Amino acid sequence: MQFLSFPYLTLGIGALLVGAAVSIRAKSPRVVAIVAGLAALACFLLSSREIGLAGHERLFDPWLPWFDADALDGVPMAFFAALTLLVIVLAPKRDAGGLALSGILLLSAATQTAYSAANLAMLAAGWWLTSLPFVLRMFGGLSGQKISQGFLIASSISLTAAIAVLHHIEIEEISHASNLAFGLIILAVALRKGLFPLHGWMIRAFEHGPLLPLALLFNGHLGALLIARSETTALTLSEKHVLDFLSIVALATALITSTRAFAETKPRRMLGLLCLSQASFILAGIATASAEGIAGGLVHWLVVSAASTGLICIVRVLEVRVSGSADPSSHLGLATKAPRLATFFLVCGLALIGLPGTLGYCAEDLLFHGALGNHPWLGIALPVATAFNAINLLRIFSTLFLGVLPKHVIDIPDALPRERWPLAVIAVFLVVGGIFPSQVLHWREAAAHQIESALGIGH
Amino acid sequence: MSLESLPVILVATPGITFLALSVVWLLGGHLPERVVSRLTKGVYAFLTLVAAVIFWRMWQEDLHAVRVSLGAHWFKVSHYEFPLTILLDRLSLPIVTVTVILAGIVGSFSVSYLHRDPGFYRFFLLLHLFTFGALLVFMADSLDVLIAGWEIVGITSVLLISFFQYRPDPVRNALRVFATYRVADLFMLVAVFLAHHWFNTTSWNGMFTGEWPGHVNNLVGSEAAIVAVLLVFAASGKSAQGPFCGWLVRAMEGPTPSSAVFYGAISVHAGAYLLLRVEPLIHYSAVATGLVIFIGLTTAFLGTLVHRTCADAKTSLAYASQTQLGLIFAEIGFGWTTFAIIHLISHAVLRTLQFLRSPSMLRDYNRVHAAAGGRIDPTGEHYESLLPKKIQLWLYRIALGRGFYDAIVDRFIVVPAVAFARFLGVFDLRMAVKSAPLPPAGETARSSVS
Repeated sequence: MQFLSFPYLTLGIGALLVGAAVSIRAKSPRVVAIVAGLAALACFLLSSREIGLAGHERLFDPWLPWFDADALDGVPMAFFAALTLLVIVLAPKRDAGGLALSGILLLSAATQTAYSAANLAMLAAGWWLTSLPFVLRMFGGLSGQKISQGFLIASSISLTAAIAVLHHIEIEEISHASNLAFGLIILAVALRKGLFPLHGWMIRAFEHGPLLPLALLFNGHLGALLIARSETTALTLSEKHVLDFLSIVALATALITSTRAFAETKPRRMLGLLCLSQASFILAGIATASAEGIAGGLVHWLVVSAASTGLICIVRVLEVRVSGSADPSSHLGLATKAPRLATFFLVCGLALIGLPGTLGYCAEDLLFHGALGNHPWLGIALPVATAFNAINLLRIFSTLFLGVLPKHVIDIPDALPRERWPLAVIAVFLVVGGIFPSQVLHWREAAAHQIESALGIGH
Repeated sequence: MSLESLPVILVATPGITFLALSVVWLLGGHLPERVVSRLTKGVYAFLTLVAAVIFWRMWQEDLHAVRVSLGAHWFKVSHYEFPLTILLDRLSLPIVTVTVILAGIVGSFSVSYLHRDPGFYRFFLLLHLFTFGALLVFMADSLDVLIAGWEIVGITSVLLISFFQYRPDPVRNALRVFATYRVADLFMLVAVFLAHHWFNTTSWNGMFTGEWPGHVNNLVGSEAAIVAVLLVFAASGKSAQGPFCGWLVRAMEGPTPSSAVFYGAISVHAGAYLLLRVEPLIHYSAVATGLVIFIGLTTAFLGTLVHRTCADAKTSLAYASQTQLGLIFAEIGFGWTTFAIIHLISHAVLRTLQFLRSPSMLRDYNRVHAAAGGRIDPTGEHYESLLPKKIQLWLYRIALGRGFYDAIVDRFIVVPAVAFARFLGVFDLRMAVKSAPLPPAGETARSSVS
């Protein structure tokens, strides 16, 4: 067993938990949350660097050995810590109360626990904990959240049941029990990721729920993590029909949500469908079981996380500035008053749908090529979903930013410095990553090979 | 300076200019009009000079093509790699030269045309991005690189159509054009992926043997025919031909200089360029060849018919462009390559002039008539006059309805698609939910700064 040189994981998760506890009653909760977020980011960056230097070996935390980090989760941990920090900085004042920021830090700590789990029990603990801030209503008592909470809890129960089945099976029953456990795990993933036909709750959460915490919950991508960690579940994921099933579900989600968005007019719902559709590409990439497809899926994970966080934060920032933007009756024309927010929105959106010159293009290029190798119909159908998503992205953009400025919007500020810099960081990552994608691919290549060999269909 | 470095400078310069201007603007800086205009004129003068030097050196050294690899590969995973190679040969060099010259002329024209327009800076940002995308298309050495430029040109075009964003029509039309582009680009994407899948190559070197013209097709079988047909549809989308002929007139909502550079000069010709580049592959398949000719001729017929019933100058020019492009498509289909290139370049130059003069059309009209010593009566001698009166009326009705293209698309594509999207709502969780609390009343403007 190899260990990290310093207990980065314990300290990172601890910093988030301490920040969550302190920020509830702090006079300046945002400052406390930023300090906690920065400390966690530093810890996870250092652990990620150490994993890279150690040749992507699995390294355990020296203080709490049920935490570990490897090629698969090292980068997402650092990335998720950065996203948490960005969300804290970008949150409008009304979303940055002590309790709300505490909830965001708790959610982040829970997700990091799931990432760094060295066994399935810890992963399930993290999985459960991510529901906690929503169940405790730390983000306010918004209507229509009960369904979302129900789905989150159902997915946690499903995962726990799968682990219990795996734990108690005898050798002679392994086939039946592993099939049952596999079914439960797929159900947990489908519930959590909002895969078709269980995607309704996620759209509803986008429409009625607290957007910024939802961005973090959505971008944890714990469902994809669980599938990618298939070797730890000791399931027969290498069987081709299982991968076929996953790719069909991912494809159905991508196509159906992208088509469904044509009938929507509310920016929040359209955004939810767009993010959900693009996020299902991650699972599709992993299910290709080829190095290119998996690498594409893993890079797409980063693209979806960064781009959708940017989009969601901008939509929330606009909602706070302009009344009626949640359900606009006509175009809002906000580009006239907020051109920089419009530009950031466009950059994030175009990266999400894979415009050349952004990281999304490289991710989708790899993903489609990988898909064509093993599942040609998947490789042909996914670009259709991308095309639909691109049209829907422009529909959201035109609703929010183009058209005649309503009379009641006299003057709204463009991106404030507090908003400009985090959004610029996201834009730079997406664009510079797109121009020089080799470095980002290098971060994820080892993880791709690890998953490829775990799935057992290496070339 | 080595000849190999010049194409890189040529393609990178507008991209770097775009990035530099974007960063300055995003970080809160603002360059005055004079600086932007001088920078733009300087950049295009430099690009023209570089193109001329390349032309001269290739001629001096009797080179038919210059192929430059920008590093080993752009990215690589396992056995798959994305090579980044650009090519200047006897097909791309004339078109690249025309591109930088016409884009420079349009940029220079726009300095005074858009003087003190609120979107002045935005226009020039997009012009540089467009030039980068167009040069990438024309200098690509593979379909992979070509598609990158192809999509950049598309998104720039859409953003310029909605340039006057405070008016509803440009916004609506930009969305429609974008939807059409995306559908057409799908054919390109699928063609590229299938070419990789079946033939393990999308580079011109892999697809063809020898240098253009006279290069020989390497791809065979029904798979090659499928790729060829897909590319024909992709090219039709970019050049507003056949099933995609409806977007060009909607694109006229943009400012006149952007109409000139996109729909007169460069962008619409990208489809014809693609066909010229993959000509041996097109001619390998009888279906693809027939499709090119059929699409070209039918679009030319419809375009010339409609163009004469248009009441405004830019719409009329759009249909006239469509007609000429249809003829260029047909010429490529018939294998008249040299003629098609001459037609393409002369059409681009003439149409740019016509678009740029369109705001002064009335003045020009009066000047021509005055110079002729009085009003010149139209001859009325069009091919329609040879037809029976009944058919003339029938054609007139079709022309007035612009081929009923929009009605057909709305009825058979848009309406069913939206109905199907609504049907998919059965999977939504639609339950009675109290509205989420709205921001406090009056929190709309200054008071609601986050």
